[in-house]
Amino acid sequence: MNVVEPIGALSMERLVLSLVEALSVFFVLFHFYVRSRSFRPYRQDWLTPRGRVGLYLFFSTISILGSYLGVRLLGGGIANTRAVGAVLGGILGGPWVGLAVGVTAGAQRLTLGGFSAFAGAVATTVDGLFGGLAHLYLRRARSPERLVDWRTAFLVTAVGESVHMGIVLLLARPFDDAVRLVELIGLPMILANSTGSAIFMTLLRQRTTVYDEVGALTSARALCVAQRTLGLFHRAFDAAAASGVAPIILEETGVGAVAITDKTSVLAFVGQGSDHHRPGTPIASDYTRQALVTKQVVFADGVREHFECTLSPACELDSVVVVPLEVDGDILGTVQLFEPRNKRFRSMNRSLGEGLAAVLSNQLLASRFQEQKSLLVVSELKLVQAQVNPHFLFNSLNTISAVTRTDPDRARDLLSNLSTFFRKNLKRSSDLSTLAEELEHVGSYLEIEKARFRDRLVVEIDVDPALLSLKLPTFTLQPLIENAVKHGISARLGPGTARIRARRRDGLAVIEVEDDAGTWSEGPPGAGLGMQIVDKRIKNLLGEDFGVTVSCVPSELTRVTLRVPLAERPS
Amino acid sequence: MRRALVVDDEPFAREEMCALLAASGEFEVVGQCANAIEALQAIRRERPDVMFLDVQMPVVSGFELLAMLEDELVPQVVFVTAHDEFALRAFDENALDYLLKPVSRERLARAIERIRRFSGDGARPAYAGAEIKRIPCSGARSLRLVAVADVELVKSGPAGVYVVGPGGELFTELTLRVLEDRAGLLRCHKQFLVNAAHVEELTIADNQVGVVRTRSGHQVPVSRRHLAAVKARLGL
Repeated sequence: MNVVEPIGALSMERLVLSLVEALSVFFVLFHFYVRSRSFRPYRQDWLTPRGRVGLYLFFSTISILGSYLGVRLLGGGIANTRAVGAVLGGILGGPWVGLAVGVTAGAQRLTLGGFSAFAGAVATTVDGLFGGLAHLYLRRARSPERLVDWRTAFLVTAVGESVHMGIVLLLARPFDDAVRLVELIGLPMILANSTGSAIFMTLLRQRTTVYDEVGALTSARALCVAQRTLGLFHRAFDAAAASGVAPIILEETGVGAVAITDKTSVLAFVGQGSDHHRPGTPIASDYTRQALVTKQVVFADGVREHFECTLSPACELDSVVVVPLEVDGDILGTVQLFEPRNKRFRSMNRSLGEGLAAVLSNQLLASRFQEQKSLLVVSELKLVQAQVNPHFLFNSLNTISAVTRTDPDRARDLLSNLSTFFRKNLKRSSDLSTLAEELEHVGSYLEIEKARFRDRLVVEIDVDPALLSLKLPTFTLQPLIENAVKHGISARLGPGTARIRARRRDGLAVIEVEDDAGTWSEGPPGAGLGMQIVDKRIKNLLGEDFGVTVSCVPSELTRVTLRVPLAERPS
Repeated sequence: MRRALVVDDEPFAREEMCALLAASGEFEVVGQCANAIEALQAIRRERPDVMFLDVQMPVVSGFELLAMLEDELVPQVVFVTAHDEFALRAFDENALDYLLKPVSRERLARAIERIRRFSGDGARPAYAGAEIKRIPCSGARSLRLVAVADVELVKSGPAGVYVVGPGGELFTELTLRVLEDRAGLLRCHKQFLVNAAHVEELTIADNQVGVVRTRSGHQVPVSRRHLAAVKARLGL
């Protein structure tokens, strides 16, 4: 009795075409699946427990459909495309997913009956297992890229289906029927299943590539925000800075609304819902609190989880990403992106939120660094002041001690100069002083030094009177003059001249302090530090465009040039 | 009365020191110097017993000055300075004492006591000379410091000691012996030192007298007495 007969005059070619028909149904299903919300576009999501369940359900469905859409033969054999689901489930989800899909589809095959039912069930399980082993192998070989490669899918399916035929021959009885079955369906099934798997994989790859491009666009937007907000958090993390940053994020990301909060209240809110979400009000949502406490991005995607506004029932906002801003392990606040309920395409996702958080946190870190740097400058300044004093003080006292013998009046003048100098050193605490104040401070210092070095020190001061009210960082001139005397004039055997000049040039105030020793190039120890601090303070207080330069002609001249703005910049 | 030399670059500091020394009745101030070069000359000329020496002076410091003196010329040294950061170093240099400016009469009296005690036993202080790295030389108008590494040879004649280097021949107050001992220059003749690092060729004549040629072509005689040492130092 001939039990294995195609229905009608079914040739092998017709069989192949039927199988291709079945596959095309899969592709339609797949097309809808990858566009649905339950499809996880990011590959790292596939191997989460939730992702694996998704893969199992989808590929089990595909695999079972493979049995139903197969071509039934007389005697109960089915030419089918069950293997596609099982193998792909295994390759993408790993051995457990592959095995589960194989067992599920295999069990379902048993219910359909036929002399080769059991063999088919076993073979499908083996297909799933093969897929899973390929998954393990490629991950261990550190080439996960090949998991989403049509060649892998084709090869594994081809091997799996060949084994399938072997199992049919081994398990299906009567053996003669099994042989005839394999002769008829063997080649079409191996070809159809392998090709199907390969096409499937190609489509999946295209789809994930599209998502990678979306990811790149997301990063690009975060970078645009970074560029435009650069410097806004420079001074502080406060409402003023936040209300500058929020509109930029809104514009660049195209979301419905943007909020920036500190740890307790809303600093800025722009976009939809700004009628009831107001800056200055305390934090209302649990999402924000959660983000502040866990230091993690909190995402209510509007699909599984909806943002519910606690302020107004009419609020249109439906989804939110809350991003904590972390600097040095401290949470300063959050940035929040909202989308309204009615928006068709959401331009917001978790990775955009994370990108923004990284960008803004970096800027905040930089501003904190800036703050610490200026603190450092202040303490360095104090250090230099402290360093100056003992040497100068004792030499001065010694000089006065000598002068007392011969010229008590002169000694009294010198003591008064010394008092003036130290009083100013101790008292002046404000950041900026006028050039006149600086010259007065320097003047009392120079009076004493002139007494100490007598005819070895000549001082020339030439200042444009219009510049006397010029603002300079306090203690700008003193360290420079002291360098000129200590490392310049006093290092020479013969007499030397120190000059202070202040002029207007090219819209700037230019102050020069020079000596004719020209010892700068020899790198007098410690001279560099005082000058660096003066430079740093000018840049911090008056702007980066200004500062100190030094030029030196060895044995002839050392000239320190200060360039400062004629008017204090508006802050 | 002890003969004292006061070395300090600040005029009022010298004046103050001289006044204090005069008031003590123990010293006759035989000279005041504003820098180490003046001091080198004054020490040779006056042979003072005691030197009151400032540490921080232009070009050549007080410590460097001590290294430039021949041992038998070195007087007792009392350092005088405005701040105490050099105190430990001063004791390393075997200074007799160390005074801080402004100097009080009581403190000076204690220093005088030490001077008296130490000079009683007749021992000369040994200022184990530090290495000289730069040689002070008087040019036409100014003083120059010539790095020892740049010196090719040093020669001594009736007019004094001359350092020969890239800047030509420059007069120095330092003696050949000091430069031989403390600058690491090689003695090749009674009147010549050569910098071994600059020697390019040694020619030896039959009578065991040689000539070394330096890199820039200077010829320096090598006497029979020093030939062996020169050959050894040059590794020949």
